[in-house]
Amino acid sequence: MSPFFAVVSLILLTSALLLLPLVPAFAELHSKSDAVPLSVIQQHTGEIRFFADGFRTYLKGLGPTLRECVSSGTHATGTMPDGSEYLVLGRGSEALALPFREQNEFRPVMIASATDLLLPSETNFSKDIYSAGSVIGSTKNCYRAILAEEDIRLGRESSVMRWVHAVGEFSADPGCRLYGRVSSDTGIRLSAECSFLRLNAPYIAIGPEADPALAPSQIPAGATTPQRLFHDGDFEIRPSEVFQGNLVVRGRLRIGAGARVCGSVKSEKELLLEPGVSVEGSLITASIMRIGPDCMIRGPVIAEHTALLQKGTRCGTLQNPTTVSAPNIQVEEGVVVFGTLWAREQGQAVASL
Amino acid sequence: MIYVLYGIVSVICVYTARHYWFTLNRLFGFQRHPYIDIDTADWPPVTVLVAAHNEEKVVANILSALMTVKYPEDKMLVIPVNDRSTDRTREIIDEFVERFPGRIRPFHRKEGKGGKAAALKDAMALVETEVILIFDADYIPGAGLIRQLTAPFFDPEVGGVMGRVVPMNCGTNLLTRLLDLERSGGYQVDQQARMNLRLVPQHGGTVAGVRSSALHEIGGWNDTSLTEDTDLTYRLLLHGWKTVYQNRSECYEEVPETWPVRIKQIKRWAKGHNQAMVTYGLHLLLGKHRASLRERIDGTLLLGVYIMAPFTLAGWALALGVFYQGVVPLHGIVAILSVTAYAAIGNLAAFFEIAAAVRLDGSRKRVCLVPFLILGFAVSIFAVSWAAVSQVKDALTGAEFHWDKTERFRKAAS
Repeated sequence: MSPFFAVVSLILLTSALLLLPLVPAFAELHSKSDAVPLSVIQQHTGEIRFFADGFRTYLKGLGPTLRECVSSGTHATGTMPDGSEYLVLGRGSEALALPFREQNEFRPVMIASATDLLLPSETNFSKDIYSAGSVIGSTKNCYRAILAEEDIRLGRESSVMRWVHAVGEFSADPGCRLYGRVSSDTGIRLSAECSFLRLNAPYIAIGPEADPALAPSQIPAGATTPQRLFHDGDFEIRPSEVFQGNLVVRGRLRIGAGARVCGSVKSEKELLLEPGVSVEGSLITASIMRIGPDCMIRGPVIAEHTALLQKGTRCGTLQNPTTVSAPNIQVEEGVVVFGTLWAREQGQAVASL
Repeated sequence: MIYVLYGIVSVICVYTARHYWFTLNRLFGFQRHPYIDIDTADWPPVTVLVAAHNEEKVVANILSALMTVKYPEDKMLVIPVNDRSTDRTREIIDEFVERFPGRIRPFHRKEGKGGKAAALKDAMALVETEVILIFDADYIPGAGLIRQLTAPFFDPEVGGVMGRVVPMNCGTNLLTRLLDLERSGGYQVDQQARMNLRLVPQHGGTVAGVRSSALHEIGGWNDTSLTEDTDLTYRLLLHGWKTVYQNRSECYEEVPETWPVRIKQIKRWAKGHNQAMVTYGLHLLLGKHRASLRERIDGTLLLGVYIMAPFTLAGWALALGVFYQGVVPLHGIVAILSVTAYAAIGNLAAFFEIAAAVRLDGSRKRVCLVPFLILGFAVSIFAVSWAAVSQVKDALTGAEFHWDKTERFRKAAS
């Protein structure tokens, strides 16, 4: 091989190796196959009722069939424009005895009922359910999604995989597992041993004893811009003390029984509210928070690790709903949250903490 | 000379390690989004400041978007800060004021010092709320953005909030596609990792918020700063206020479409950042204030990002000098291993970060463009170094900083 040819070969080979990683880059630059802006949620706001609203719109085409079935008292089957099979029931109680049920499973059909829908037990409903009245589910069912224009009641140890929305009250018997979004325009009532992720309603009551009507209609809002106080170590607000201002504590914070905080508080470490504390602002901790019993919090409650809410505690009011959010939440019977209760990883209603 | 080179290499290694730390944290660590779930609350009154200087091409878009956001109408006031515009900006704003009575209160600034910070400073006379949100006029907020940016202010420690910016004109040309990648890396990895690790997320001055009482406490907007956002970040930090980053609070922006505009933009950023480094660097690292040790270290490294460009150039020059002088910096196998290790790992750090960000964004083919970033890197390193040199020259001659507005490329809304 001549030296000239060797040098040229080396240069060409080196250039080819240098350009090799750029081949896909040039191809993409030319073809622009992935050149659209990243998708940014512009129009909806993470609204909890997003899927329910979409399902209601989707069902509009079934309106005439629903009216026909309710007047004739019969049922009808068919296929939606997208190919999904549906079953429309004129009488909701028919669901208990229809041939669509096979071996503890409904054939994967969407169910729409013109009246109250009574569902059999130990059944897997793998398509969405709609009722123009209420939905009353028996025990140990598994649902994909439910929308009801009135109340929804889930039987003991039932599960919901995606979402539920009730225009009336939603209630879940003990041991239910609510994996997706649960919302109601009226209220939500969970029994003990129910697990949840995201709940939203004017009130969310845990246990049969929790009474939203007992909550004060208003907790006074703190001053608009109260003074901010810092404390670098652990800190305690004494029992029955009235604390004015926003408080930021870099250590643990304990708020004594019956104390009143006219402002918001934040702690870097554990935050403990003893019985009967009232907070007019928000409660934030980067760690674990234990609230109660019988505390009243006006603003958002945020724990970056775990929030424990004891019986009698009220978060928000009917007029000023709020959010309670943490990766892990345990709520004792007797707690009422007005607004949103959102556990990112695991929420649990318990009889006693 | 060799010891200076050692010093530069050491600092570069620190930044390399930082790139990897952030990227690995973002890929495998715990992700903090503590305020994003606040969807129900007694929302506080907010003022939205829209900085607009000759923004006839874009100002209608942002005002339209703000009029449709999901926030209680009686609790949100939009103040377009029309800073001495000579185009149709005033006319367009006034049309919106007429269409949406009571919801927009214009601030037409006819004279005064130039620059966004100076304009915002003057506009503060109209602000009556505790929460202030700030947008540049070329941004288009989504329906839930105002609530998302307001939510962190329920935390009494939060003084500033920053959302994520997403280029909307990314497909225009090579530059916009490279800037799209850079933005991904900067926000999806850098900013979120700082949030995760409780370091110093940076206030970006747009798609952002500031607490009025915190702003008052730190002395208001600094109109002598070229980058009021960096300046704000550090003054908040030094006064014990946190700036938090909300990765899911995304907003479209327009990125420069020509290289001269991009160079001008990055030179301004570099000068402003360096200005903040000189002003706050030493005090942040060693002074008596409430920042934690990790915030002090990260804040100092963040202040140094633009000065690394001339440092790197100096390092290259020194390495060549050392080579031609025949000096052996390290001996034998150690030298070979060091160079090989850096070539294999160190050079890749920033590209790895961007590739990881693109992956986290769920993009597919755009990651192929990562090798082209070397072009953007080359342009930036010289532009930023030149900015640093001219800044020193300005300091020596007593010349004043000049604020350059970034040119817009969008067609004016009809």
